[in-house]
Amino acid sequence: MHLRRKSELQLSNIKPDDNITEILKTDLSKGFRLIVEKYSSKLYWHIRRLVIIHEDADDVLQNTFFNAWRSMGDFRNESSLYTWLYTIATNESLTLINKRKKNSAVSIDDLGSYFANSLEGSSWFDGDEAQIKLQNAILQLPEKQRIVFNLKYFDEMTYEQMSKITRTSEGALKASYHHAVKKIEKILTGD
Amino acid sequence: MMQKLKSIPDKNPFKVPENYFEEVNRKIISATAGYEHEIKKTGIYTRFRPYLLAAASVAVFIIIGYSAIMLSTHNRTYHKIAEVPYEEYSDIYLNEIDLHSLEENLGADILSEELPDVSKTEIINYLMVENIEINDIY
Repeated sequence: MHLRRKSELQLSNIKPDDNITEILKTDLSKGFRLIVEKYSSKLYWHIRRLVIIHEDADDVLQNTFFNAWRSMGDFRNESSLYTWLYTIATNESLTLINKRKKNSAVSIDDLGSYFANSLEGSSWFDGDEAQIKLQNAILQLPEKQRIVFNLKYFDEMTYEQMSKITRTSEGALKASYHHAVKKIEKILTGD
Repeated sequence: MMQKLKSIPDKNPFKVPENYFEEVNRKIISATAGYEHEIKKTGIYTRFRPYLLAAASVAVFIIIGYSAIMLSTHNRTYHKIAEVPYEEYSDIYLNEIDLHSLEENLGADILSEELPDVSKTEIINYLMVENIEINDIY
């Protein structure tokens, strides 16, 4: 039984994007504006859960849409706008995380100490101890597994959609999510 | 299995600055698709300016490159001529002249001209003044 998580924009409440696809055929700019207004919030939270820092998430979100805008001419009608944007956002987030790893001065392994050292109000984090523990546990997962866990647990995405975003088979994703949950539970229980 | 996860309140611990999404949407749209009123103000020149600048850059590059090639080719020609000293050039030229064919090519009117009489003494004096060795002639 899964705990139902509320995202900023529930997947079930998103209107079918077929009308945006039709608008894109005749007015690319208008279609893109609709895409930004509809998906920026949801994409932001997905990115934020990966990169943690608001300023970094802001950069990644903008880069995601800039990249998407450059590729709009290649957009195929049958593709899912939603999974396509998520793919770009995920890749951009991983790029930033890998860049961060090379800069040893910026390391977010322990949220608790990170937020404790941040200036008051600058961290844009308002979680209690339990939330910090959960986020720390998620941070212990390898990046790919963290992505799978976030997409399933917070965004309540289907395995089919996740498969398109991560280019991984549904079976592998199910196994990855199962292991992620076990690991997190073990960390939370062990504290 | 998810007992511990279920116990954590359903709350997003991350926050954003006030009006963040309105601001970032505006920033993204202004930098990409633009707003309708912004697009309408854009004239043909402004819309095609990047392409015009690119075309102008290519044209300038071609002109500079062509000029550079032409200049280097021109200098090379002069250089080749300068490699041959005049003295050697004149010797080579004269030695390779076939006097018989030269005679044939000269006009009859030139050949028919009477040459002035020049005494042997005058010839020798001329050679001495011009510092020409008699053996150089033969």
